[in-house]
Amino acid sequence: MDKSKRQFLGKMASVSVGAALIPVVQVSAQGQSLGNTSNNVSDGQAGKRYGMVIDLRRCVGCQACTVACTIENQPPLGQFRTTVQQYEVSQQDASTPPAFLMLPRLCNHCENPPCISICPTGATFQRKDGIVVVNNEWCVGCGYCVHACPYDARFINHETKSADKCTFCAHRLEAGLLPACVETCVGEARVIGDLNDPNSQISQLLKANQADIKVLKPDANTAPRVFYIGMNRAFEDRINGQAPVRTLLTDTGEEIHHGH
Amino acid sequence: MDKSKRRFIKGAAVTGGVGLFAAGYSHTLGQIGKGVVNGSSGKITQDPIHGNSLAPEYKVDLQTGQLIGNDEQRIANTMCLGCWTKCGVRARIDQKTDKIIRISGNPYHPLSAREHIDFDTPIKTALVGLSAYQEQGLQGRSTACARGNAMLEQLDSPHRVTQCLKRVGPRGSGQWQSISFEQLLTEVVDGGDLFGEGEVEGLRAIRDISTPLDANNPEYGPKANQLLVSNASDEGRDVIIKRFTFNSFGTRNFANHGAYCGFTYRAGAGALLDDLKKYAHLKPDWDNSEFLLFIGTSPQQSGNPFKRQSRQLANARVDGREFSYVVVSPMLPNTSNQPCAGNNTWLPIRPATDSALAMGMLRWIIDNKRYASAFLTAPNAEAAKAAGFRGFSNASFLIINTPHHPRYGQYLYASDLGLPFEGKAYGEQDSPLVVDAATGQILPAGQCAKAQLEVEQSVNTPKGKLSVKSSFQLLSEAARSVEMADYAKECDISEAQIAALAHKFTSHGTKAAVISHGGTMSANGFYSAWAIMMLNAMIGNLNLKGGAIAKGGTFPAFGAGPRYNLQDFDGMVEPKGVFLSRSKFPYEKTSEYRRKVEAGESPYPSKEPWYPISSPLLGEHLTAAVHGYPYRLKAWINHMGNPIYGQAGLGEAIGEQLKDPKVLPLFISIDSFINETSALSDYIIPDTLTYESWGWSAAWHGTLTKEATGRWPIVEPRVAKTANGDVICMESFLSQVAIKLNLPGFGDNAVKAADGSLHPLTRAADFSLYGAANVAYLGKPVADINAEDMYFSGVGRIQAELNARLKPEEVKKVSYLFARGGRFENIRAGRDEAGNPCKVWPKPLMLWNPEVGSRRNSLSGEYMSGCPRLYQPSLADGTPLKQAFDKSQWPLLISSYKSHTMSSMSIGSDRLRQVHPNNPVRINEQTATRLGINTGDTVKISTPNGSVVALVECVAGVHPDCIAIEHGYGHKELGAREIVIDKVKIAANPLIRVGINMNDLNLFDPSRHGRYPLVDWASGASARQGLPAKIEKIG
Repeated sequence: MDKSKRQFLGKMASVSVGAALIPVVQVSAQGQSLGNTSNNVSDGQAGKRYGMVIDLRRCVGCQACTVACTIENQPPLGQFRTTVQQYEVSQQDASTPPAFLMLPRLCNHCENPPCISICPTGATFQRKDGIVVVNNEWCVGCGYCVHACPYDARFINHETKSADKCTFCAHRLEAGLLPACVETCVGEARVIGDLNDPNSQISQLLKANQADIKVLKPDANTAPRVFYIGMNRAFEDRINGQAPVRTLLTDTGEEIHHGH
Repeated sequence: MDKSKRRFIKGAAVTGGVGLFAAGYSHTLGQIGKGVVNGSSGKITQDPIHGNSLAPEYKVDLQTGQLIGNDEQRIANTMCLGCWTKCGVRARIDQKTDKIIRISGNPYHPLSAREHIDFDTPIKTALVGLSAYQEQGLQGRSTACARGNAMLEQLDSPHRVTQCLKRVGPRGSGQWQSISFEQLLTEVVDGGDLFGEGEVEGLRAIRDISTPLDANNPEYGPKANQLLVSNASDEGRDVIIKRFTFNSFGTRNFANHGAYCGFTYRAGAGALLDDLKKYAHLKPDWDNSEFLLFIGTSPQQSGNPFKRQSRQLANARVDGREFSYVVVSPMLPNTSNQPCAGNNTWLPIRPATDSALAMGMLRWIIDNKRYASAFLTAPNAEAAKAAGFRGFSNASFLIINTPHHPRYGQYLYASDLGLPFEGKAYGEQDSPLVVDAATGQILPAGQCAKAQLEVEQSVNTPKGKLSVKSSFQLLSEAARSVEMADYAKECDISEAQIAALAHKFTSHGTKAAVISHGGTMSANGFYSAWAIMMLNAMIGNLNLKGGAIAKGGTFPAFGAGPRYNLQDFDGMVEPKGVFLSRSKFPYEKTSEYRRKVEAGESPYPSKEPWYPISSPLLGEHLTAAVHGYPYRLKAWINHMGNPIYGQAGLGEAIGEQLKDPKVLPLFISIDSFINETSALSDYIIPDTLTYESWGWSAAWHGTLTKEATGRWPIVEPRVAKTANGDVICMESFLSQVAIKLNLPGFGDNAVKAADGSLHPLTRAADFSLYGAANVAYLGKPVADINAEDMYFSGVGRIQAELNARLKPEEVKKVSYLFARGGRFENIRAGRDEAGNPCKVWPKPLMLWNPEVGSRRNSLSGEYMSGCPRLYQPSLADGTPLKQAFDKSQWPLLISSYKSHTMSSMSIGSDRLRQVHPNNPVRINEQTATRLGINTGDTVKISTPNGSVVALVECVAGVHPDCIAIEHGYGHKELGAREIVIDKVKIAANPLIRVGINMNDLNLFDPSRHGRYPLVDWASGASARQGLPAKIEKIG
């Protein structure tokens, strides 16, 4: 097996063990969150249900969204709220050359989000407009949600030491603007909008491409609200372990971190 | 069966695409522990939900569309310089800190929006158009690419040069002292014992425009030619550098990065378009074509304009029209799109063999008569128009083919036959001749409605018989000189595949096109690119909707404009003499040639190759200066250029010599960072970044409408100031040198306005401001800026500078331009009612180019082919690389490719680099298995004159003979190494060093006399594709 895979699997294994051994005493002591309904925490616009369509036929793999997101939302270096991974897809027919699939990923803002029920403090909650967010004042950084998320969409922010993830740029949506990733999407692959509005562009896109709409890990029963056009069924479940946290290897195989 | 079920997924992600997925959960684990013990113990954020996300730049009420500005930020439209596409961007600036906090696209700009908004749109309306109000921003989005988003980090980088630096100790030691601008000026102008190493001639002594630099070779020109000035490329400030170089200082020697960028393509396209001066090229009509072929380019990955063409290609895949494309490359390129598989295919090819594929296709098209006969038989524009085309070719023009005839390879003209003609014989009004298809008569091309395509005959002239052939005949013979099987063998694409591709290409009428670019940077690159582009001529797609189209043009700022004449001035010098790189000058006109002939010797070979069809070549300038042929340099002023990093083998070939003041006595760089080249200089003058400087640039290509991108200081420049309070940068340096030397073209009365008044050219902003006034007044002058536009555009901060130089009426119009980031023709002006581009390429497509076909290879003395033909990648003396470097020792071929994220100058951005931090080398998995190499191994890659250690990925998407290397990594400077300024250490950032630079893999041409990196024998452009190599596992 290649080196990167070996390292990767080694660390995944240790994560699982580590998570299982965390004592739950303090966590349960936090009790249920009440603070999330207070006035200083945005809980979204009632009546709307935000979702995103990503048209993979349009994605050019340029990473503009990835960079725009990290500049807009300022996560620590090496930690990402959205990524675009690039897969080389071979064909069974050996004479057909391989092709690239670019797969943008982010929080799926699920209708049935497993990260909420597992959160011991209630820091993670779903706004009225469907956006799943974390109140980092309530988050104790236990990491349960990071592991509960089937999409590897969450990470523990090294600086805030709390769970972090995509918010659909809720701060921009509230200002009547588009999320950073959407407004800089070179291929116009990312479309955000109100799923409750049948006339919205996202609703129209979903309708027009009904036969070709997929979500990641449909069997997880999370009811994701990030939809893909042009995704091969084989990719639905092929996203394990490609975490939004990265280190890198030098030419001689040593690991370096991004300045933290 | 469902197509998708027949496929299976390869497995792991291609780690090279976005960086290796060696996961970093170790940190997370640490935090879990801490969180449990300490509770929520991290840094407090601005908002519990939104964290530290930026405050929105403005708000738009989703019910009313009302816009409410954010007084803590301003928004400014300007130019990006993350790569050489030079897109228009909009920057958000924090008013308190004067930092740029985010960058996206300028909605007025055609390179950033798919359909840019009309120029007269109020700024406020433009901003609402980007918002979620009525979902306008989805259609109207104007984007920046990954680099464009990230380049803002350069502004306050710890590795920036902000003051004048003078080396301490030897060149390249990384030890500097800061000095005042005025001290620097005195030292470089007057010279002296500047470094305690002996006398150095200053620019004053070098500037002699009357004494020949070499009395034995007077064609080399005056002593002033011993100053070389280089500019990385035209980023909107090129004209003032050329003004200084050519017309004020009076040296012939200027060059930019073209020779190691994509010059083979430009030269090949220029040969097709009869433009060996500016090397025009064509782009496909992305929005209307049915089939596109990319050979040696990956338009969704790089190229110019990368972002615009990616977006158009993405749109073409889904807009419902019949559309497909094939991308030919040694490595699977990002242009491949699996979700649309079937409509796009990657065709793997052996590196540096594109010409075999293109010539094979040409042969098949000619053999099977699949060419557009009606186009090729039309010998002039009118005849072509009558046949339904919008351009013509010289396919039927007659070429003199008598060996040893003084005009071999050139057109047969009316004057040759004693037919009537105007002007001078062989002049512009003398007419090339064709054979009339109906009568068999020889006619001037302009007077024939349909000409014979295949001609091989002898004609009687008053001076005797001449054998002539048509251009088409010559191209056919060249194509047929190699068997299809041999073309197939050469490029490793089967005869059947070549035929199928040629059939497909010729199955869409004129709604198809082929383009190329840097993939042709090989030792046969010029002829490869010409062969590829020639395929367009076979289908007659020139200037047609869906075909190959010309660029929309610009609003020129720096000509003899409507407000200021920036082109001419009193006392302007006409530079004279031979370029150091021996370009644009035939060897046969040199004294060296004459002396050999007079001595009764064979004039061939010349000492080193000459490049009669090429632009000045920076790499060959430098190797010439080091080797002293044709002559040496006394000083080099380099603005932003980085040939040591950018040209394959150049650093290893001459890097050490450039450190020797005896070889190059004075080396001055002007740059905002210390790159691999400026690290070797004696002095560095800080330069303003694109966000801090003035300039006017134009799109290289890819827009159908006219555009001029205006850049202006949207923030306070971070560089030091002169004693007079001006910003220290390229413009202020060149202006002050010129003033100190009392050169024409600079100083108090250097620029003449249209009203005859004279104006100063003394400060950094001056030249560009006069240019801005020209842009504003070209044609119908633009409107005056109003208060609302002023408020929403951030141009308030430059009013004082505008007022200092421009007239009040000009200030209002120039402000209107800068508020929009330039001047842009409305999108509807790009096409006529039929959808054809309004801007057309007027000259004929050249199946045979007499300017090429009448020149000789200065080493062999043989004529260069006047049409594309198969040349193997070879040494300068014609020895094929295959023969010079035994395949058993060098079984693989290097091929480099452009990164979709990293340009040669973007590695310093943390937020960009983290996305794609490394460039593991890719090799084919079967080749890897044979060699016992696995993904993640450390390998040593060697070429005959160099080696690098690299991390490897073994994938299916690489040709089995290829080692594929992504460009933009493996830096040794730009912060990769510690430097010392005034005894203070500036620490290295090891992340900047990661990866390898393909150009450290060297191949010196053994047929030359010294250390010359391999170049394309015909054009002198860098050869970085197809270098013979081997790979060994070392860890």
